Amino acid sequence: MDFPSSLPPSLFMTGPLGQSDVPDLSFMCSWRDALTLPASSPQGSQDRAPHVAKDLLWEPDMPGPLPLLPPGPDPWDPGLTAKDLLFRGGYQFRRHPRAVLDVTEQVSRFLWNHGDIAFAPLGRLLLENFKLEGAHSRSKTKTVVSVKRLLQDLGGHQPWGCPWAYLSQRQRRFSILGAPILSTSVASLLGELLHEELALRWERLLLDDVCTGGALAWVPGRTPGAGQLVYPVGSTMDTLCFQKVSLTPESEPQVLRDPGRIQLRGPVRQVVTRSVQGEALLAVRSDHHCALWKVSTQGQPAPLQVLQVDKGATGISLSPHLPGEMVICSRSGAVCLWSTEDGLRQIYKDPETLVFRDPSPWRWADFTAHPRVLTVGDRTGVKMVDTQGPPGCGLLLFRGGAEASCQKGERVLLTQHLGDLGPESLHPMLHLVCTQFSVYLVDERLPLVPLLKWNHGLRSAPLLARLLPPPRPGLPQPLLLAGQGGELQLLHLAGAGASMPRLAGLPQSLPTRSDSLSAFPLLEPKSHRKLQERLKAPTIGLAAVIPPPASTPVLSLFQLSAAGDVFYQRLHLQADPGPNAHDPAASWTPQATACCSRWLEALLEVPLAPPVWAAPTFSHRRLLGGFEPQKVEGPVPEGLRRAMAQGRLLQQRDLGLVPPEERPPVPEPGPEDELSERLEAAWEFGAAAWWERRRGGRVGPGKQPKRQKRRTQLSSTFSSLSGRVDLSDAVSPPPSPDRTVPEARPQPPRTPPSQELTQEPWAQGVPSERQQTLRDYMAELPLHADTPGGASTLSSQTPSIRATPLGQHAPQDGTFQQLPQGDTAEGATLPSSQTPSIRATPSRRHTPRDSMVQQLPRGDTPEGATPPSSQTPSILTTRSGSQRLRKKPRMGF
Amino acid sequence: MSDFSEELVRPTTEDEQGEPCVRSGSGMCFPWLQNHIESIASGGKQEKDFAQTTSACLSFIQEALLKHQWQRAAEYMHSYLQILEDTDSNKRQGAPEIIWRLGSEILYYHPKSNVETFNTFADRMKNIGITNYLKISLQHALYLLHHGLLEDANRILTQAETWRYGEKSSSQEVLITLIQAYKGLLQYYSWSKKKMELSQLDKDDYAYNTASQNMLNHSWKTSINLCALIQIPGVWDPFVKSYVEMLEFYGDRDGAREVLNNYAYDEKFPSNPNAHVYLYNFLKREKAPREKLISVLKILYQIVPSHKLMLEFHRLLRKSDKQEHHKLGLEVLFGILDFAGCTKNITAWKYLAKYLKQTLMGSHLAWVQEEWNSRKSWWPSFHFSYFWAKRNWKDDKTLACEKALVAGLLLGKGCKYFRYVSKQDHQVLKKKMKQMKKSVKKYSIVNSGL
Repeated sequence: MDFPSSLPPSLFMTGPLGQSDVPDLSFMCSWRDALTLPASSPQGSQDRAPHVAKDLLWEPDMPGPLPLLPPGPDPWDPGLTAKDLLFRGGYQFRRHPRAVLDVTEQVSRFLWNHGDIAFAPLGRLLLENFKLEGAHSRSKTKTVVSVKRLLQDLGGHQPWGCPWAYLSQRQRRFSILGAPILSTSVASLLGELLHEELALRWERLLLDDVCTGGALAWVPGRTPGAGQLVYPVGSTMDTLCFQKVSLTPESEPQVLRDPGRIQLRGPVRQVVTRSVQGEALLAVRSDHHCALWKVSTQGQPAPLQVLQVDKGATGISLSPHLPGEMVICSRSGAVCLWSTEDGLRQIYKDPETLVFRDPSPWRWADFTAHPRVLTVGDRTGVKMVDTQGPPGCGLLLFRGGAEASCQKGERVLLTQHLGDLGPESLHPMLHLVCTQFSVYLVDERLPLVPLLKWNHGLRSAPLLARLLPPPRPGLPQPLLLAGQGGELQLLHLAGAGASMPRLAGLPQSLPTRSDSLSAFPLLEPKSHRKLQERLKAPTIGLAAVIPPPASTPVLSLFQLSAAGDVFYQRLHLQADPGPNAHDPAASWTPQATACCSRWLEALLEVPLAPPVWAAPTFSHRRLLGGFEPQKVEGPVPEGLRRAMAQGRLLQQRDLGLVPPEERPPVPEPGPEDELSERLEAAWEFGAAAWWERRRGGRVGPGKQPKRQKRRTQLSSTFSSLSGRVDLSDAVSPPPSPDRTVPEARPQPPRTPPSQELTQEPWAQGVPSERQQTLRDYMAELPLHADTPGGASTLSSQTPSIRATPLGQHAPQDGTFQQLPQGDTAEGATLPSSQTPSIRATPSRRHTPRDSMVQQLPRGDTPEGATPPSSQTPSILTTRSGSQRLRKKPRMGF
Repeated sequence: MSDFSEELVRPTTEDEQGEPCVRSGSGMCFPWLQNHIESIASGGKQEKDFAQTTSACLSFIQEALLKHQWQRAAEYMHSYLQILEDTDSNKRQGAPEIIWRLGSEILYYHPKSNVETFNTFADRMKNIGITNYLKISLQHALYLLHHGLLEDANRILTQAETWRYGEKSSSQEVLITLIQAYKGLLQYYSWSKKKMELSQLDKDDYAYNTASQNMLNHSWKTSINLCALIQIPGVWDPFVKSYVEMLEFYGDRDGAREVLNNYAYDEKFPSNPNAHVYLYNFLKREKAPREKLISVLKILYQIVPSHKLMLEFHRLLRKSDKQEHHKLGLEVLFGILDFAGCTKNITAWKYLAKYLKQTLMGSHLAWVQEEWNSRKSWWPSFHFSYFWAKRNWKDDKTLACEKALVAGLLLGKGCKYFRYVSKQDHQVLKKKMKQMKKSVKKYSIVNSGL
């Protein structure tokens, strides 16, 4: 087999990650590989014209992907966000804010919502110190408190958590007596458990690796354009759906009715398909089970094997060489090979990570060009393991270290064998390694030295990658990379046979599901938010097909979201488009908007997820028989009630309030009121004169003109490209006559040259007829609004009082309670970052309404507050796990 | 705030660009963590307007680039240059590198850009971010080289070569060596051009002497430029190749051998298959003894058993007198055919069929069995399945025949592949088929085992 006769120059350094004194020779530029030197003679380089087919583009037909299937009948809950988990204050003095888990808030919410769970045992212990109604306690000791009085005192309207709230003597006494027991015991018992759970949730929010590899797969059918999409459906993702789809190059994909369904016992995390020797196989990974099906040519699945993985499976792969061979990785660090003949065989086991110590139990395995050699990967590196050799030995294929110029904190997120996809495709010995920063291509025959490195810059973890065959012989192969957040990137990989793999042109980003928002009809805010959330759901599956050859190759892209929606998009190839080909040509067709409207209608019919937190159903009245809630009487509730009964608008006079007679006085313009002066001048079209007047008195710092000059010089390079009339100094190349000037407008003659820089960004979104006026006005302003006064006025406008954000969606389990919707009165709080401990102590006053004492849902024990064990491991196990991990010496880089 | 949550998230690590990048408890770095934090940090210190606009502008440039909207990217770049006036010195220092990276990308792809524009941009950028001088120079030279402007590239490299800034860091030193090596490579190009001219000249011509004198001067300069880089661990294929060619031309065979030996066998270098290929080719040109060639290829065989030189290796081993070489010859053939990319290599199958028969005739059944034992569990379904029999016969009948013979020898005449192919009726291959059946009947290891 051919090995490139000359590899691109690269430095080879050994060492840990993040060595800064080593120059990274890959430079992160997409065309660097196009410049590798011709091996024999310089003539080769001269032959190559500078602009030959270097710009390759897959143009989307629509501005965004469209829903392929109607939304499922089950409601979807986006789950926790950073807002629910992180501490929201205390960033004032930090240069770079950092994430701090807000345990206090969560504890206080738990105490608030499940006070009975938290305090009932203590309450029982302290019962003798309280005097309930009806119980006649003759004790004159000062440690007995009358509950009735206490609650009466609390009846005043005290803002929740207000540190300056009025406290009665009785309350103060109770607080002094009870605080040490109530706050410390409960908080310390609960706090630790809660913290661990929060930490777990936060880690999962940062990186949720269960769906690595993707849960959407395309099984090709008998004819080239037909096939099946296999993916999980249902609220728990435990039903495997076989949806037949037929693709034609000209039209949208046709969905056939009555998809096949297989009910499984756990949520499906990964779906893999392969066609080996004419036999289509389908493997599915769940949390603790893996299963293998054989798909007949008619598309009927027949089960082959189900395997149980006690410790939890992290990845499966199907062999591209031998039918029915599958490799499974488990959290324990074991890698097993399953085949129809030999059954299950453990081929590798190492609970430790490969290169350096990393606590992640994530493991991954794939096949290589040799059917008996596998790659085994973890967060720190990838190793090639010979299944026939002695156990555990093998060469490292990729090392998270200086060899690949890895950054500090860089970890492997996905490895994939870029197998044989036909005669014109990339070499079958190449492997893809994705980290959170970069994409690497590594050749098995030259381990440790990446042949290609590209900084993908995705804003979420790239956990899905699909390599497609070349759309036409001689064209580069598309490699799709999908981030969990929905971003898609398409890399053009060239270099078949004996040539080096390289990027053919700059990778391109594809529209995300959020880009489709414009195709949906306008909605009222609540539904709009629901739709937005739905479109933003994490991507958990990706499949792409290039249907049979057409005049222009078409790529059909399918995405599966965590909400269970399948979206599709078609892209057609534009090889070497002209300079003006990148106009935003794609727009929504009436069919597309109609499709979106139908989908939206179905979505809005889906009921909301039932709130996990329910209002308490019993009150303290049972305990305090004679106690009557304070009657709030007065003109205000009376007026309110009357207005409600009549069904009319509540007006101020109904409440008996006197409307304010006089308006607040207009502030007197001070002697230094520049703004109003300037505005006045602007109204009278004298802004220029005003500015000249102002500027006369002030001279900028000495460095300013120099930097400005430097910038104008530089900007001339780009201004010659951006097609703008260049008035700056004469260093830039002369403008070519054929230049198109799309946005050039007659400039006001007084405009200094450097002011062109600031013109475009603000001009967007301003009606064109007003742009000229604005531009004239801007021309009179200082170049940059970097006067400190301007900046500070803006930032000081941010409100200093924040309301505790109320999630629109109920959390998934009892531990992470949020306040019910619309409960703002209780949720509003002052920023108490300076005195955080106050929020945890139960010393605030509150109305003794029903919301104070709550009842537990039936059958809910204190342990029941932990999430259901099918979703997350129970707290006890995680605690022991994390303690064990903490004992290990840390060696992360 | 509870203290123990502090240990979950370590303090911010600031890398050179000053980009905040927070690591989690596992030491992993999440570039998207900043978004999470920004989504909740409503109060406290906020970024200045200037910082907000520049970072928004940067993301617009990146977005435009990834959508291949060069025009738009250039317009935003025009505005982004204001970051050079940022009052935040950290950002100001990191800016030139970002500007260079994005700017050079735009200028490379922009349909209206040309070499002059790129030159102007590169020259200015070199002097703004002085720390990037060497990198930019190198990339600039590569760009010019790509456009065929060898002399300009040489000029840029010469300028960069003598550039010094502050104390010499190891990173600077490596870059300077690399720049010198590229310069050496350019000199090699002009040298090889002259060599070509020289080969067209008459030896007795007066011009010949001056030309050869010129070449000598060149080679001396080049060798100094190239040999420094080759000492540093790395993959330096084009440099080693040209250096060795020049050394060879001037008859310095020992020097060339030393360079190649060092490149192939130095432990500090990555195991580069090409290093062994170059050494082998050099030895072959030198007419080295077969033993020597075999020893070089033996190492290549251990690194890349699927290399195309392995067929040549097999031929060498076959011609050798040693028994162990004959055995290795069989091993090499099996080794090639293990790989997915080699399954349709007709030469390898032909060699295997022939050599297998020869080995079995020479009553070395144990050798075959040794190789076969580790493969008998998967070769039948990997190579000799019914699917492949049908497919191979359809696509390439000669290949099918060779494979059928191997299948018959290894699996006996009952195997699917052999049965399928032998049942086919083909006029041209009739004689071959008959021979095949005969050989299988006579030598198959399955028969002999019974």
